[in-house]
Amino acid sequence: MSRAVMAGHAAGETSRPGQRTWAHAIVRWFFITTSLLFIAAVLLAPLATVFVMALSKGIEAYLHSFADPDTLAAIRLTLITAGVVVPINTVFGLAAAWSIAKFEFRGKSVLITLIDLPLAISPVISGMIFVLLFGLHGWFGVWLQEHDLSIIFALPGIMLATMFVTFPYVARELIPLMQQLGNNEEEAAITLGAGGWMTFFRVTLPKVRWGLVYGMVLCNARAMGEFGAVSVVSGHIRGLTNTMPLHIEILYNEYNFVGAFAVASLLTLLAALTLVIKTLVERTGYRRR
Amino acid sequence: MSFRQPSILPGFGLTFGFTTVFLSTIVLLPLAALVLAATSMHWGDFIHTVLSARALGSYRLSFGASLLAASINLVFGFIIAWTLMRYEFPGRKIIDALIDMPFALPTAVSGIALTTVFAQNGWIGQYLEPLGIKIAYTWIGVTLALTLISMPFTVRAVQPALLEVQKDLEEAAETLGAGRFYAFRRIILPTVLPAILTGFTLSFARAVGEYGSVIFIAGNLPMKTEITPLLIVIHLEQFDYQGAAALGLVMLVISFVMLLAINLIQAWGRRRHVGMAR
Amino acid sequence: MSIVLDQVTKLYAGVPVVNDVSLDIGDGEFFVLLGPSGSGKSTLLRSIAGLSGIDHGRIALHGRDVTHVAARKRGVGLVFQNYALFQHMTVAENIEFALRVRRMRARARRQRRQELLRLVALEGMDERLPAQLSGGQQQRVAVARALAHKPEVLLLDEPFGALDAKIREELRRTIRQVQRELGITTVLVTHDQEEAFAMADRIGIMNLGRLLEMGAPHELYSSPATRFVATFLGAANLILARRTPDGILIGATTVASAERASGERENEVVTVVRPEEVEVAADRAGLSSGYLAAGIVDEVVFTGALERLRLRLDPAQHGSLLAFGDGGGNASLQVTRTQHEQRGFEVRPGQAVAIGVRRVHVLPTPLSSFTACASSAVDAEALSRQPLLTELAARMKTRIGTRTEPQLGLPEGPCQGSDTFVGTIVVASGPRCAQEADWLLRRGARDLLALPRDAQAPQRVLIHWVGEAARGATLAISASVLRHVPAEAVYLGIVAGDAASPGHGHGMRELLDARSEAQMAHGLDMRTELHFGDGEQQLARRLAEAPGQMLILGVTDLQDFARRFGGLLEGESPVLIVHRGSP
Repeated sequence: MSRAVMAGHAAGETSRPGQRTWAHAIVRWFFITTSLLFIAAVLLAPLATVFVMALSKGIEAYLHSFADPDTLAAIRLTLITAGVVVPINTVFGLAAAWSIAKFEFRGKSVLITLIDLPLAISPVISGMIFVLLFGLHGWFGVWLQEHDLSIIFALPGIMLATMFVTFPYVARELIPLMQQLGNNEEEAAITLGAGGWMTFFRVTLPKVRWGLVYGMVLCNARAMGEFGAVSVVSGHIRGLTNTMPLHIEILYNEYNFVGAFAVASLLTLLAALTLVIKTLVERTGYRRR
Repeated sequence: MSFRQPSILPGFGLTFGFTTVFLSTIVLLPLAALVLAATSMHWGDFIHTVLSARALGSYRLSFGASLLAASINLVFGFIIAWTLMRYEFPGRKIIDALIDMPFALPTAVSGIALTTVFAQNGWIGQYLEPLGIKIAYTWIGVTLALTLISMPFTVRAVQPALLEVQKDLEEAAETLGAGRFYAFRRIILPTVLPAILTGFTLSFARAVGEYGSVIFIAGNLPMKTEITPLLIVIHLEQFDYQGAAALGLVMLVISFVMLLAINLIQAWGRRRHVGMAR
Repeated sequence: MSIVLDQVTKLYAGVPVVNDVSLDIGDGEFFVLLGPSGSGKSTLLRSIAGLSGIDHGRIALHGRDVTHVAARKRGVGLVFQNYALFQHMTVAENIEFALRVRRMRARARRQRRQELLRLVALEGMDERLPAQLSGGQQQRVAVARALAHKPEVLLLDEPFGALDAKIREELRRTIRQVQRELGITTVLVTHDQEEAFAMADRIGIMNLGRLLEMGAPHELYSSPATRFVATFLGAANLILARRTPDGILIGATTVASAERASGERENEVVTVVRPEEVEVAADRAGLSSGYLAAGIVDEVVFTGALERLRLRLDPAQHGSLLAFGDGGGNASLQVTRTQHEQRGFEVRPGQAVAIGVRRVHVLPTPLSSFTACASSAVDAEALSRQPLLTELAARMKTRIGTRTEPQLGLPEGPCQGSDTFVGTIVVASGPRCAQEADWLLRRGARDLLALPRDAQAPQRVLIHWVGEAARGATLAISASVLRHVPAEAVYLGIVAGDAASPGHGHGMRELLDARSEAQMAHGLDMRTELHFGDGEQQLARRLAEAPGQMLILGVTDLQDFARRFGGLLEGESPVLIVHRGSP
């Protein structure tokens, strides 16, 4: 019965008396056509190009481009970076969400704004600030050189820059979700004698798990795909400090289009997978906003 | 008033401590380095770097193209959001999911893909070439790239707002005698205006800082198709850290102003709607 | 007439949510549409406003047919449950919206606005935003806004739903006052019967998309015509009684009744006894009203002004008295007593009391109870648990009894139990059904339901009778059935011969007569179909056409019954036989 009523409400609009007008149909047609054309030109055509270009010399050339040791090194570096950065930022996101959503304290809104800060900063600046700190002419540059440590143009720099850029993602998903869910269940658990960790793992975590998955997936996508910030700190050393996006740039500039788009196709598939997971998570009932 | 209101939940010290320490290390300390590096410059040098002809040219392109891209998204983003929320058509759900693609897609990928499509011999570029329209390696290409990467902001900001314009409101306007267009202009548009403005500002803020997708399509000619982030990178590659920091500071200030504007718009939007909850 | 609805039907996905509603609302009348959620009342209101179209029927406002007129041109004012105020506009702008649409001059607008704000007691609030007002104030603004363009009709869709009790009361008064002052025809939709009583000139009660009854509040409360209205408007005890030549025999008492069994034999009826009409005393002698039965106090609840009792009747003696319950005699009788009565006779749980009834209302419904009848106790028991039967009984708030007749169907076999059959007798469909039905009808059963084992709730009820004597009863029973199942009613007229035969005109006339009688006497709207040929064959053919149908068949003459109608009682569709006339 209720399904019939819901379907009816959607149908009710079209069956409204005196509304079957030409103008309405034309506006509808115009809106749908405009939307589809815009999306096709700006979004779908580039996406298709990635695969068309990657396969332009045949499937063998496509697969062959992954045999290149530099490409493999770039893929490995990207995976390592994401593998380190995502867990760290997840722990941070959980901690930040717990302190912000569960407690009332002064300066809370300032803290939230600061957490969001990296999203508002140009990726180039995000990379540059680490160069200013750890680069040759940076604050710690001399000290690092004396102790034979390298951060800039090396793995730690890439990780720091990636961490900075992907810093807010998990926290941003969890804070509003935990605020909306409220404290009642946690308070009930505490009054029933549960400890803090038990409350967290048995009560809070199961409630927010989909939001957490969502945040981690977004964090991972950005970590693997970051270009600007990493470009500034990496030094573009082939086989050593080139992540996948940077490797795409090098291949592209060498006119190795099949190679460039082959790597790009991997990242595009990753993006598609991210969207699929996002859609699945939303289907579980967890909604953004 | 004490710093924190009492609560029976544990873990405040641990989580708050970790949050602030980590935040300071990863975000605040490096940003402070930027501010210090820029402010430790000679005033004259700072002005010279920030107001050089090349810098001014890059601002014009970065801000002009971003403004244009955000405006394009204002119009098309609204149309797309409206289409997705109000009309039922085959493939609607897939399109809805695809809107987030520019968020998930690495910018380098969008950059090379867009360049290929809009180059002179690209799928779309080849039809524009005879008309005398060049997109790749011009400011139009820059605008296009910025439009793509900032598109989801407007759509995603407007969608929930459109959902929130309860059917009741439109129906109320109808029973009071308003026609569809009148109701749209007087009821729907004002209600979703804060969301549209938020989307616009978010799009603009994202576009100004964008680097990855633009450098492929821009051509990067000084004064013509060179964006500010690229200029910063060029300074860095020449080990002119202070010059880079100076330009970075300018962009940072602008980002802050943007953030402030977003918050003000959202507060304004919320204030008008506090009554809904009651 | 201000609002005229003529056979309005609205379908959602093929299911009628508003089912053949016809209604006249007079000038300046305050009409309340009352019903549970999902009964179609809000949909009906939206149809009047023009916010949703209708699939069948006609709507007229002040003599103007507006069925196909857009909402904005209907000149109605609608107040929504969630106020639906324009949040970005001030109170003044909200109220002036309709006037601005109509390009009224600023000065005139201001004047009208002041008038309206005075009317809803919100003077001086002009420049506030809705967000700065309380819920009650917002709804007042919504009322003022709906009245701004001087609509001919004011429609209110559960306007108090989101407000708390005290503000609700206050706003009720305001709206009633405004309505009286302006004399505007008003329709209010609510699910709250107290609200309906407090505000209405007239109440219309809806359930399952149908408008069941209309009337002044006190009329509906004291003499409802249907079980649903009796139990929806306040608490009611439904008690089975006998209609005898002397009056209504209820429990141990005979109550004089205006509607006595005129010439007909005794039959079972359903009576309504309101909780406040039940009296309790220590013994029979202490009662000032007619004695119903002895009972035991199960529960005593103090609720302030009134005391609520639940009484258990002795199952062995009076188990079958209460219509509502599980049929096992576990149902309880609800009683409310005033402080005055409590002081006269205090009771405690577990105490034995004598129960009397002061006032009894007999429901005109022809269907009272069900009795599953079979030749063995096991079969009767199984039949009484048939899903459609239990669902029907639950909806009708009546009970299902069982009866074993070992000789059932044997032509000369005698009755085992008492020689009267009360209520509707239920038998299982099948090859033996014709004999069994014949046997029962000849021994006095009046209403007989042949029920297939897997019968589901029907979507269409076919109605037909053979012999004019059965016509009134068949229509009454059809109307009663259709109040409890959301199905479409179709009257089948069958004329012997073919379309060219001289019976054609007669058949048409009969059809139209049947239709108007169903509508006038029972509020039942039915579709009509005319078929030509042999009666039984046409019925069987029509019944076999689609699943989910039920047949209600009126008969007067039992001559050849088993041979003529036996085929219908073997199929997959339930068949309700209504037998009136000579046994």
